[in-house]
Amino acid sequence: MNKTLTCVICPNGCQLTVDYEGVTIQSVEGALCSKGNQYAEQEILDPKRNIASSVRVTGGKAPLVSVRLTGPIPKKKIFDVMAEIRALSVAAPVEIGQVLIADVSGLGQDVIATKRIDRI
Amino acid sequence: MTTQNRSVIIIGGGPAGLAAAAALRQQGVEDILILEREHDLGGILRQCIHDGFGLTRFKEALSGPEYAARFVDTVQQAGIEVMTDITVTELHADRTVVATARSGRYVFKAQAVILAMGCRERTRGAIQIPGSRPAGVYTAGIAQAYMNLKNIMIGRSAVILGSGDIGLIMARRLTLEGASVKGVFEIQPYPSGLPRNITQCLDDYDIPLFLSHTVTAIHGTKRLTGVTVSQVDSSFRPIPDTEKEWTCDTLILSVGLIPENELSKMAGVLLDPRTKGPRVDEHYQTSVAGIFAAGNVLHVHDLVDFVSLEAERLAESVGDYLKQAPADEEAVPVEADPELAYTVPQLVRADRDLTVSCRVRRPLNRVRISIWQNDQKHVTRRFRRAIPAEMIHLTVPKEKLVPGEPLKVVVEHE
Amino acid sequence: MMNKQTALQKRYDVLIIGSGVVGSALARELSRYQLNVAVLEKELDVCTETSGRNSGVIHAGFNNKPGSLMAKFCVEGCLGYGVVADEIDIPFSRTGKLVVGFDDEDRKKLQALKEAGEQNGVPGLEIVESDVIRDKAPAILGEMALYSPMTGITNPFLYTVALAENAVQNGVSLWLNHEVTAIEQVDDGYQVQTTQGVFESRWVINCAGLFADRVARMVGIDDYTIYPCRGEYLVLDKELGSQLPLPAYPVPNIREGGLGIHLTPTTDGNILVGPSTDYIDEHTDYGTTRSILDLLMREGRKIFPPLNPSAVIRTFAGVRPKLVSRTTGGYADFVIEHRPETRHFINMVGLESPGLTAAVPIARNVISIIGEYEDLRENPSFNPCREGILSFKDQTPERQESLIHENPDYGVVVCRCEGITQAEILAAIRNPLGVTTLSGIKNRSRAMMGRCQGGYCQIRIAELIMAEQNRSEESVMLARKGSRTFVGKVRPS
Repeated sequence: MNKTLTCVICPNGCQLTVDYEGVTIQSVEGALCSKGNQYAEQEILDPKRNIASSVRVTGGKAPLVSVRLTGPIPKKKIFDVMAEIRALSVAAPVEIGQVLIADVSGLGQDVIATKRIDRI
Repeated sequence: MTTQNRSVIIIGGGPAGLAAAAALRQQGVEDILILEREHDLGGILRQCIHDGFGLTRFKEALSGPEYAARFVDTVQQAGIEVMTDITVTELHADRTVVATARSGRYVFKAQAVILAMGCRERTRGAIQIPGSRPAGVYTAGIAQAYMNLKNIMIGRSAVILGSGDIGLIMARRLTLEGASVKGVFEIQPYPSGLPRNITQCLDDYDIPLFLSHTVTAIHGTKRLTGVTVSQVDSSFRPIPDTEKEWTCDTLILSVGLIPENELSKMAGVLLDPRTKGPRVDEHYQTSVAGIFAAGNVLHVHDLVDFVSLEAERLAESVGDYLKQAPADEEAVPVEADPELAYTVPQLVRADRDLTVSCRVRRPLNRVRISIWQNDQKHVTRRFRRAIPAEMIHLTVPKEKLVPGEPLKVVVEHE
Repeated sequence: MMNKQTALQKRYDVLIIGSGVVGSALARELSRYQLNVAVLEKELDVCTETSGRNSGVIHAGFNNKPGSLMAKFCVEGCLGYGVVADEIDIPFSRTGKLVVGFDDEDRKKLQALKEAGEQNGVPGLEIVESDVIRDKAPAILGEMALYSPMTGITNPFLYTVALAENAVQNGVSLWLNHEVTAIEQVDDGYQVQTTQGVFESRWVINCAGLFADRVARMVGIDDYTIYPCRGEYLVLDKELGSQLPLPAYPVPNIREGGLGIHLTPTTDGNILVGPSTDYIDEHTDYGTTRSILDLLMREGRKIFPPLNPSAVIRTFAGVRPKLVSRTTGGYADFVIEHRPETRHFINMVGLESPGLTAAVPIARNVISIIGEYEDLRENPSFNPCREGILSFKDQTPERQESLIHENPDYGVVVCRCEGITQAEILAAIRNPLGVTTLSGIKNRSRAMMGRCQGGYCQIRIAELIMAEQNRSEESVMLARKGSRTFVGKVRPS
């Protein structure tokens, strides 16, 4: 089977053509770097994404702290992770890189803060 | 009111201003002052919480706030003077800068001024969408600020006009927060945002993208109740009988960014009608001596990494300028191929390494883009596909350049 | 039938329905007397319909039929406008006006206008040739023109706001968000039912503009129909402003029911292009349309060639409350009547252009009717002066410095395009009428009116409104009732 993908790993956004049979990747064309090949393989087998969102902060100079995951998670789990993020509330201060949810939804990635929020 | 004399004043503490400040300090420039109107440094990056920043500059995927924090930390560790919550209200050609803050009115006189004010969004008025004026019509950047900085939810069901990157990012953001995004409508026959954002912001969430479509009417007297969308022909005129009504309570406009040029104009800086930002030479010096510009105030960038790199190149030249105003090699124009929307710089003096940034006007397949001077081809890059969403950069070392000879940026189809 | 059980809320001597420019001028004029006066307004601010959506021109009075109320009150209003503007501290500039013509046919029409104007008592009218046009406004095209030196420009919104504020300062009650739903004649006046309770008053004055026919019907006067007639406008960036020092009109086609698509400088330095003239079905359909916006651009260019699409920062529409239908065309006169069968109900219908100019004389006329029945005694504490919001950017550097020193909020520039400070925004939020909508703050402070249209400052202004009034996100309104700006928090606490 043949599939055309846009690599989302970097802003180059390479157009990849993947030839595959079931779960066996036969060839990937169009990637400017090796990450593109890995992406294509992953995308066919189990597409993964990183997501960014916000977590409620109490007692901080801002009402929210921005967060992201330390690495991509299966696409189909995105809304499970969002539910955990939405339910969370943290107290200021918050530091960049602070782990707010470890191993979120048991997916092996952490939710980390991406902004410093000082206490009021 | 006393006038304070400074070596360098940087207007704007976003990515361009921060990178310029840090690079200037590295060159040993002591007296630098950054003026920032917000309470925090970082500019628009503060609200760009999605990841994908820094792949070029830091070789890792950071969120906007993290990318900004790297530069803020550098600036703070270097002890560079920063004033926040201060708005520059006047800029004069003699490099007098007037600003106000809660603590008073300030007048500065700088040897060099760096314009780093970024850009602003085109509005509903600018594109003249007919219809009523209900609540619920937002530009993508405002929507992003409300949601990501202020914890304010702007709507529950949205239509997005324009496929600019911020609009695509907001489509995903709204979806993740439980809103329904009905579709993205783009007047051009191709998307104006990056391909990766089409994939990860729209395709991933089954949000349809309609090319050659535009919003032709806005409905509702209180809150928005819906929009009319029409298909457009090749001259962007709505095609009769293609109207379709879409019910929504929110319309997000992602219809382009324009350099913030109020202060530039006030100082008499000449603008390029194509970029809507200042005309500069390869030192990023504007038509007014000692006033420099980099980042989105100069031309709207696709990636913040390129803003930082541009500001760092600017800093090199400002550093030299402070030591001695450059022996004036005559500036000659950079001529852009008709396939290109513009080039930056627009002028060259050929007395330093040159980086030309440009964008194609429409998607092109299999092209070579080259810089020529007389019959000499200085550099060529080949593209399997070049799209307007992506900025293209070409560099030529100083040694190759001939002062006084115009440059041409040429696009050839293979 | 009105429910007699409903407890009476308020009792007044005079109740004004509608806080457009006529209702507000009347409220202020009535506050000169010892009367208990209230204004009922259905919207969240004054000046929400016709009064705030027009060219802002103070007309000299040559467009109106000699002998008409329109002509009489317009001329009086124009001559007296300077005094009122000074008292209530609003922008007004007697710019003069050109009505330009291109051929002999136009010249005849201009001559006729001049003669009508002179009959009406308009001073200073003259027919001028192209050299004078070039001299007054080099960018304006025309072979000849009627020049009217008395015509001026004002800010119609601030004018209405200032009239209402001055009225309130002098004791008038303003009830916003009180829509009149029924009126019943009782022994000593009227009972007026609103969406928020019942009012009683000896006098009721119909100043309901677009809805004046409906209000009249509530007391049984059913011989008027308002025909809404929309006019669309383009608002241009200030960059072109210096090229248009005074309003420039084409020769009007009276039958059309408007004065033709003209160009008007605003007191803030922008330019308005419009209005069009289109009868519509819905009284408050302020939608603009592609075809009309294109028409405005084409027509405007005929007398002002610098006009171009990239100069447009906004579009809007207003609706004229006309008493003549599309098929009749032209203008009817103002109706100002006090019928024997509806004693103490003063009915005013068809107050379209030049209502802005004529508002104060209209109000004085109403008072003379009331004066026939009431012993009007002067209010000794009446103060005709009201102060507007101080504009920081128009002050000298020294004054700016001392203002910031006195109040640091002057040092915080909130709206960059218009140079509006936090002190001015807060003054607008703390306005005497208690208006809290984003549009209300915009119109009072000019914030969000510039070329970025609130791109930078709207967020801060919304925050200031919420903080000042302890409001939730859901209760921030854009302009009209129900114009919710936000739906809540992203992360509710």
